[in-house]
Amino acid sequence: MTFGPKELQADVQQKNMCIGCGACVSICPYFKTYKGKTAAMFQCSRESGRCYAYCPKTGVNLDRISEKLYNKKYSSDALGNLKAIYTSEKSDKASKGNFQNGGTVSALMEFALKNKTIDSAILTKRNGAVSIPEIVTDHEKVHAYASSKYGLSPVVSKFNEGAESGYKKIGVVGTPCSIIAMANIRSNPTDIPDFVDKSGIVIGLFCTWALDTSKFEDALKDKIDLTLLQKVDIPPPPADVMTFTTSHNEITLPLSEMRKGIPLGCTYCHDMTGEFADISVGALELKGEKNKNIIIVRTERGEQLVNDAVKSGYIKTAPLPAEALSGLSTASMNKKKRAFTRLVDEKMINNLTERPMIVVDDQSLKNIMNEKGGM
Amino acid sequence: MSILDYKDGSVNLLMGNEAIARGAVEAGVRVAAGYPGTPSSEIIENLAAVAGKAGLYVEWSVNEKVSLEVAAAGSFAGLRSMCVMKQNGVNVASDFLLHLGLSGTRAGMVLVPCDDPGAISSVNEGESRHFARLLELPLIEPGNFQEAIDMIKWAFELSEKIRNVVVVRSVTRLSHASGNVKVGTLPKNNDTPVFKYDGNLLDALNGPVITAPVPFKHRQQQEKLKAVAEIFETSEFNTYTGPENPELLIITSSACSLYSLEAVNVLELDKRVGVLKLGTTYPLPEKLVKKHVASAKKILFVEEVQPFLEDLTKIAAAAWEDVGVKKYHGKYDASIPTVNELNPDIVIAALTKILGIDYRPVPEDYEKKGTILSFTGAPNREVTFCPGCPHRASFWSIHNVLTLQGKGGFVCGDIGCYTIGILGAGFNTLKTTHSMGSGLGIASGFGKLRGLGMKQDAVAVCGDSTFFHSIIPALVNAVHVKSDMMLIVFDNKGTAMTGFQPHPGTETDAMGAKVNALNIESICRAIGADVHVSDPFDITGTQDKLFDLIENGKGPRVLIMQQSCALSPEKKGKNKYVMNVDESLCRGENCGCDRFCTKIFRCPGLVWNRDKSVSMIDSVICTGCGVCKNICPAGAIKSEEVKAC
Ligand SMILES: Cc1cc2nc3c(=O)[nH]c(=O)nc-3n(C[C@H](O)[C@H](O)[C@H](O)COP(=O)(O)OP(=O)(O)OC[C@H]3O[C@@H](n4cnc5c(N)ncnc54)[C@H](O)[C@@H]3O)c2cc1C
Ligand code: SF4
Ligand code: SF4
Repeated sequence: MTFGPKELQADVQQKNMCIGCGACVSICPYFKTYKGKTAAMFQCSRESGRCYAYCPKTGVNLDRISEKLYNKKYSSDALGNLKAIYTSEKSDKASKGNFQNGGTVSALMEFALKNKTIDSAILTKRNGAVSIPEIVTDHEKVHAYASSKYGLSPVVSKFNEGAESGYKKIGVVGTPCSIIAMANIRSNPTDIPDFVDKSGIVIGLFCTWALDTSKFEDALKDKIDLTLLQKVDIPPPPADVMTFTTSHNEITLPLSEMRKGIPLGCTYCHDMTGEFADISVGALELKGEKNKNIIIVRTERGEQLVNDAVKSGYIKTAPLPAEALSGLSTASMNKKKRAFTRLVDEKMINNLTERPMIVVDDQSLKNIMNEKGGM
Repeated sequence: MSILDYKDGSVNLLMGNEAIARGAVEAGVRVAAGYPGTPSSEIIENLAAVAGKAGLYVEWSVNEKVSLEVAAAGSFAGLRSMCVMKQNGVNVASDFLLHLGLSGTRAGMVLVPCDDPGAISSVNEGESRHFARLLELPLIEPGNFQEAIDMIKWAFELSEKIRNVVVVRSVTRLSHASGNVKVGTLPKNNDTPVFKYDGNLLDALNGPVITAPVPFKHRQQQEKLKAVAEIFETSEFNTYTGPENPELLIITSSACSLYSLEAVNVLELDKRVGVLKLGTTYPLPEKLVKKHVASAKKILFVEEVQPFLEDLTKIAAAAWEDVGVKKYHGKYDASIPTVNELNPDIVIAALTKILGIDYRPVPEDYEKKGTILSFTGAPNREVTFCPGCPHRASFWSIHNVLTLQGKGGFVCGDIGCYTIGILGAGFNTLKTTHSMGSGLGIASGFGKLRGLGMKQDAVAVCGDSTFFHSIIPALVNAVHVKSDMMLIVFDNKGTAMTGFQPHPGTETDAMGAKVNALNIESICRAIGADVHVSDPFDITGTQDKLFDLIENGKGPRVLIMQQSCALSPEKKGKNKYVMNVDESLCRGENCGCDRFCTKIFRCPGLVWNRDKSVSMIDSVICTGCGVCKNICPAGAIKSEEVKAC
């Protein structure tokens, strides 16, 4: 069964499930993105389309994309399909920047552009509360995009635009929802003849949630000068706050207040670690450790890039302490369990409904819900 | 050929509005003013064309109220004057008209409202007839083209007899149709206008022209009306056609009298049904009507929209003890509909029902077949903007910006070509439309609801002519109360919808003289709004401005979108670009476009080539504005600048 824009709007946008990844944008003139929101500009009359097929918030068949990308069924393990996991940080060859954690992502992208693993990179810059993805081709500019922007970024719209305008090996950095959209795209769900995967490397950022741009803006606009915002961080528990650093000052707001800005779509998301990326990167949250990343290598091309980047002095890796690994696994499994339980309760998964948000093998679903997964 | 060129006494094919204009000149009119509005506009246009030659002063005024005041000045100064507007214009002018009726006039003054039953080119079905009754002024209604010319002349005489305004009502089917008219002679008239005011307060011809003392003046006005009723009793414009004692009497007026005569004719009822066609409808010539009512058993009122003759007759009949009980048909028993235009078929339907006649104009299955064919066979013609119309480009930008902002922003408008912004042609962007200028007043109100928690952005749109007509007070209001909203002026350089009549923002007046154009931008700035200008054909620039103004602006903001109408004389035949579609790039039916340009943007200049499954430019109707090249997602629409030779 294939569906189109009508169903996309009914299932996702009208139900407020859209997280603004932009997978449906830039493939046609009907969907556009603005300030983190995806809008249907006009009613398109097509009965099936890539917009529905690419969206990570409806009709995602985890086993199907897993098979296309990894040649195996969806893994119900806490951290998904993986080859290796380390701690990491940027190394001397990589440019300096306002990194979120260890600068691994920026360093990898800089290296990948330089050694031509990719011909372009989709990186996200900040304009106040608004996250703006851009196509970057100059490796010297990568560091300028460092640091996490908590507003949703329509990364995939820029991938689509890049693919359309002729780039053939596009590097993508995105939150797990965008990575699922990328997996959808890469698995050619609409059976386009002569399909070519235009992604060069896909890096997933760990993510528990992001923020709706306008709610983000509303929460902060009277408190700081958003145009001067430089960094947003969530210090590890038990801090329970979010910090906002501008060129002038830093303020701290309770997480509970910021959580009000979480889009509904995030609360149904099962993926914390970007399970369909080549490489996934997050913060190393370990006492005494600052400014380091956890890096998960998932595919051969991911492995190759990481190894080359280490050899060329762009990043360095080290074994991941068991404590950090179990902490991450628990957090990741909890996210899956929460989401799948909710999807089952609300009859939004598998054959509980006509057009489910997620389709996954019943055994995997059971494993996760009974918390039998894990490492 | 101008209305002066017809030979005295010759018979000519004239449009109703031409006949009215010619009649006015024959009556020696010297001052004529109006505000453009279909179906009335050609009257002033015809007069303006001969103004110099015939020694007239003709103007397109800023609005209907002012036009009535201008015409009144002519009358006060001793010159015959005429004022012309469409039906709802009388609403605008009615405040002054109420006072004018009380103060009275001097030289003959005629008000010609042209009603539009069925709202063929209106957004209402307003009726000026009821104003005559409400404001106690005489009303006459031509029933054919000859009467259009003759009654106008008579109206001036009548006005001078009673020293008050006479209303001559026309309708679309009279104003805009043509018929044979025998013209009269043109007068020599070069009186010098003088306004006399030295007489005492109660001296109607030499004193000040005022409404006080009100009870005195009001009584005087009512007495004049009584005198008019007497005159109407014997007017030659009231005619009766039919047997002496008809089974059924039709009482009618205006174009409806023609539908009635035709219906009687078709049904061959001339021995059973009589038609009393009234030319003088208010005050009702009661004795005449009574005489005819008495002669018949049944009465049918044939008139458009609301009951007028029916009410007047029934009220009068309450006192006709000697006439006996009659059966009345009309609006109240639903024999005649209370909305929309009438036509002979409707009258035929009423007659057959009342008289129990079996009549089928066409066999039943033929009629069915016709209905099916007209639905399936006829091409679907949608209401849309002309090719190259700046409104399409403007609405495109407004729609896209509001949709992308995703806060439920909307547009309030009024009447103009841009009213079809409600439909697909304007991407369904317009959400309110009422009287001229009302979009801004409404938006100004919405803008204040912010204080009560409203989140949506309100945007008002108006045309350049409307700006002068009735936007300025609303803008002053919005600035005064600091309403959070935005006004967009679609400045297409003329009163485009009604045929490019000049307005205060254009460089010529109605008679073609050079005048100083008032600058909308400076006016808005002087009022205190935050004012910006853009070219709607510059899609990116316009959208950038809109994003910024709607999102970051505070208080009343104005964006003037300047681009001449595609049909404006300056643009005709002068294409800026030659457009064409690169067939190798056009995505046709393929995924990701769904024929965007011909399904969504829908400029008539873009057509779907069914054989090749691609879009193409219809070079005959494309105006070469170049806008569509901005909307094609594949960049398939190309433009090439036309070099001036
Ligand atoms: C919304 C969000 C939530 C996150 N939640 C967690 C979490 O719960 N736990 C955890 O361990 N890590 C989380 N991360 C990841 C973490 O913040 C860092 O991005 C990651 O550790 C990489 O750090 P780095 O120093 O290598 O990044 P940097 O070298 O600073 O590079 C960051 C890269 O991310 C890209 N980017 C920034 N914001 C976005 C965005 N919104 N969407 C897509 N790309 C973006 C930039 O283009 C840049 O290339 C989150 C990130 C985001 C954007
Ligand atoms: S989640 Fe992404 S693909 Fe789905 S509707 Fe929103 S922007 Fe489009
Ligand atoms: S250039 Fe395009 S938009 Fe303009 S008139 Fe021609 S077809 Fe229509």
